[in-house]
Amino acid sequence: MTPLSAIPQTMYNFGTMPGTDAVRPNTLPTPGVEGPSPLSQPNEITPGQSTGDSFGNVLGKLISDVNTKQNAATAAVDGLQSGQGVPLHQAVIAMEEANVSFQLMVEVRNKLLDSYQEMMRMQI
Amino acid sequence: MIEGLFNQPSYLAAKKTLDAVAVRQEAIANNIANLETPGYKRVDLSPSFRAELDRAVASGDVQQLASLKPSLAVDTNAVSSSQDGNTVSLENEMVQLNQNAMVHTLETQMVSTMLMRLKMAITGKSS
Amino acid sequence: MIQPLSGIQNTVAALDAERTRLDVISENIANANTTHGVDGKPYQRKVVVFENALQQAMGGPDANSAMTPQLRVARIQNDNRAPIEIYAPGNPDADARGMVATPNINIHEEMADLINASRAFEANLAVVKNEKSMAMQTLSIGKH
Repeated sequence: MTPLSAIPQTMYNFGTMPGTDAVRPNTLPTPGVEGPSPLSQPNEITPGQSTGDSFGNVLGKLISDVNTKQNAATAAVDGLQSGQGVPLHQAVIAMEEANVSFQLMVEVRNKLLDSYQEMMRMQI
Repeated sequence: MIEGLFNQPSYLAAKKTLDAVAVRQEAIANNIANLETPGYKRVDLSPSFRAELDRAVASGDVQQLASLKPSLAVDTNAVSSSQDGNTVSLENEMVQLNQNAMVHTLETQMVSTMLMRLKMAITGKSS
Repeated sequence: MIQPLSGIQNTVAALDAERTRLDVISENIANANTTHGVDGKPYQRKVVVFENALQQAMGGPDANSAMTPQLRVARIQNDNRAPIEIYAPGNPDADARGMVATPNINIHEEMADLINASRAFEANLAVVKNEKSMAMQTLSIGKH
């Protein structure tokens, strides 16, 4: 469980972006990990594995996943408030998970905006 | 991608153990409430569920963990200490109550730590 | 209505029942020497009869739960013990033979019952306290 290294890796693997064909994602150094990650876990995208998805698809999936989490949290809190017997800890954890997912989406958006602005600033 | 963040075996194990703790808490509360009820047999987590939980946590299998459901059963090991067949012993129940509270604290901390670590990784800020 | 402390309906019922029992016991002790009540007869010892009612499932919608009985006070009824007769001709309540009928209340028995009822009451209180502290911990998941 190494969330610190998971985030940069998933960002470097956002499929093919226009104009970056010359830079292969799996040669970019990732902090603390060398080459194909020996710590790769089943649900982490490893470097060197091309996902084949377009960037738009990945982003769309991220947004729909976040939406699913938010809906689950709302359902849990509704169940708790209406006295349907949803345990308190499930509602609290669902809310926190939705929070974290949302924060991830916001940070991804910020980084994308930053890199877009960076690119626009480049002199041709 | 989001599911990958939250599908870690230790995190899932902590969440499922919290479910079990909540159910056990209800069982123990019930036992103590029926301290003086004639013929009442104490209930607790069923041994089969306990074995399943231990197995799933040890194996770290995400699928197994996600499909666990806590179940309660009448405790067949409890013996009656009074003539009316009531098998609740107050001392035992208080010990189990305290133990359950400790497990709850531990698992809550584990879940909380994982969530805070994720937040820190995402935002770079510690709170 | 929201129920943050889940599964303590039985505890509440037990607290209620034990409280009633304590009240009845203290009434018995207070009236241990009442030879002449409102109806002219000596005080009759009262007992509380508990019953199990309203089988309800525990564990919430997720768990495979067992049905458990809920404790309830069925009724407060008079004990059928015969009054003890004491020879006390000077007592205003003495009958023709000089015997006075006094309530058949054994203080030691009442004290033992009192201790049991208090113990059960305090144990249930401890459960409620415990439940509350666990809920407060749950609410602070993800913060500090």
